[in-house]
Amino acid sequence: MANRRVLVKRRKSIGNIRKITRTMQLIATARFQAAFNRAVAARPYTEKLAELVGDLARGAGGIDHPLMAAGNPDAPAALVVVTSSRGLCGGYNANLLRLAQGQLESWRASGQAHELRVHGKKGIAYFRFQKRPLAEQSTAIGETPRYEQVEPLANGLIEDFLAGRLSAVHVVYMRFYSAGRQRPEIVQLLPLVDARPVETSEEPPAAAVEYEFRPEPGRLLSELLPATVRVRLFQAFLDAAVSEQVARMVAMKAATEASGEMIKSLTREYNRARQTHITMELLDIVGGANALA
Amino acid sequence: MAASFRVSVVTPEREVLALAARFVALPSFDGEIGILARRAPLLTQLGSGALRIEAAEGGTRTLFVSGGFAQMVDDKLTVLTEEALEPAAVTAEAARRDLAAAAALPARSEVEATKKQRAQDRARALTRAAR
Repeated sequence: MANRRVLVKRRKSIGNIRKITRTMQLIATARFQAAFNRAVAARPYTEKLAELVGDLARGAGGIDHPLMAAGNPDAPAALVVVTSSRGLCGGYNANLLRLAQGQLESWRASGQAHELRVHGKKGIAYFRFQKRPLAEQSTAIGETPRYEQVEPLANGLIEDFLAGRLSAVHVVYMRFYSAGRQRPEIVQLLPLVDARPVETSEEPPAAAVEYEFRPEPGRLLSELLPATVRVRLFQAFLDAAVSEQVARMVAMKAATEASGEMIKSLTREYNRARQTHITMELLDIVGGANALA
Repeated sequence: MAASFRVSVVTPEREVLALAARFVALPSFDGEIGILARRAPLLTQLGSGALRIEAAEGGTRTLFVSGGFAQMVDDKLTVLTEEALEPAAVTAEAARRDLAAAAALPARSEVEATKKQRAQDRARALTRAAR
């Protein structure tokens, strides 16, 4: 009796939650599409820039630039952690933070000084709970990162690196491969490695174009490389935004399905309880009638 | 009619435009460069200023760009820039505001001075383009 009412109540509340999670799933799907389009739209710039650096390297006969040289070894290494500002996205932040934690541990073990620059509420809360000092924390860059937000960040990192205040910069973010695959990754942003595109076998390297360079290749390069760093950081933020929506989509889909299962089993339990109750009442009546007879 | 070539203007966020053009004037870092079809391969750094494109099917498109690079190869011109403003966004008021902001920047170190110089150059170019 009381038991049945409790079952009905629970089933109802699970139904309500299911409505919410299904809506969140739909919203995440829509946002994913938008974020995905933004990430794809950013690709031509990244690719062209890499191509230019490659062409320039061939034209200048090798690349040599302070951004590619090892930094001041006594300075701390910076770890930029890109997390989300909102929860309910499954293991998204947990996976990122585990990776970041691992990197910090290994730096500590090897005696490398380091500092943390964290983006997103979830990461900030995590490291604050651990009472780790944060060199920088920001929640300004949300689900739709814009270039003019990321640019000053990247410029700050480049300046600190060139001035010898940082020995290296690594970024932890959720790399987006496809809608079915995202992986937390640590990428070395500075010193810049493999700025040149991977030489594909289809493209003969002998087909180098004789460019007219204005100004000379060396000065062009010192403009191109910072741009590469900036756009790489931007791409990391874009990837993170897409991956977050995917994670939320998957988590909410699982939640919706799980609540469906729960409703089913609760209904079964409720029906059984109801039948038991009816049987008991019948037995009472039959028992009473027998006693009278 | 003159030969045409492909032009695309790309920012980190998106491809702003892609069209066929007869003539393009680029704001290079040390002055304007005019580009016609079949130009020899060129890789140049851009300054701030108006990018004028005379489309193959007639009409002129203007964008305000600041900084970036242009690559001309195989009759394809690619303009990579971090900022490409539509003419509607280029107003005297915006130029004044940016110039004031640039003038207020600190210049205590060499890095800061370069940054300030760039911001001022950009704002002045914006002022010229707004006319």
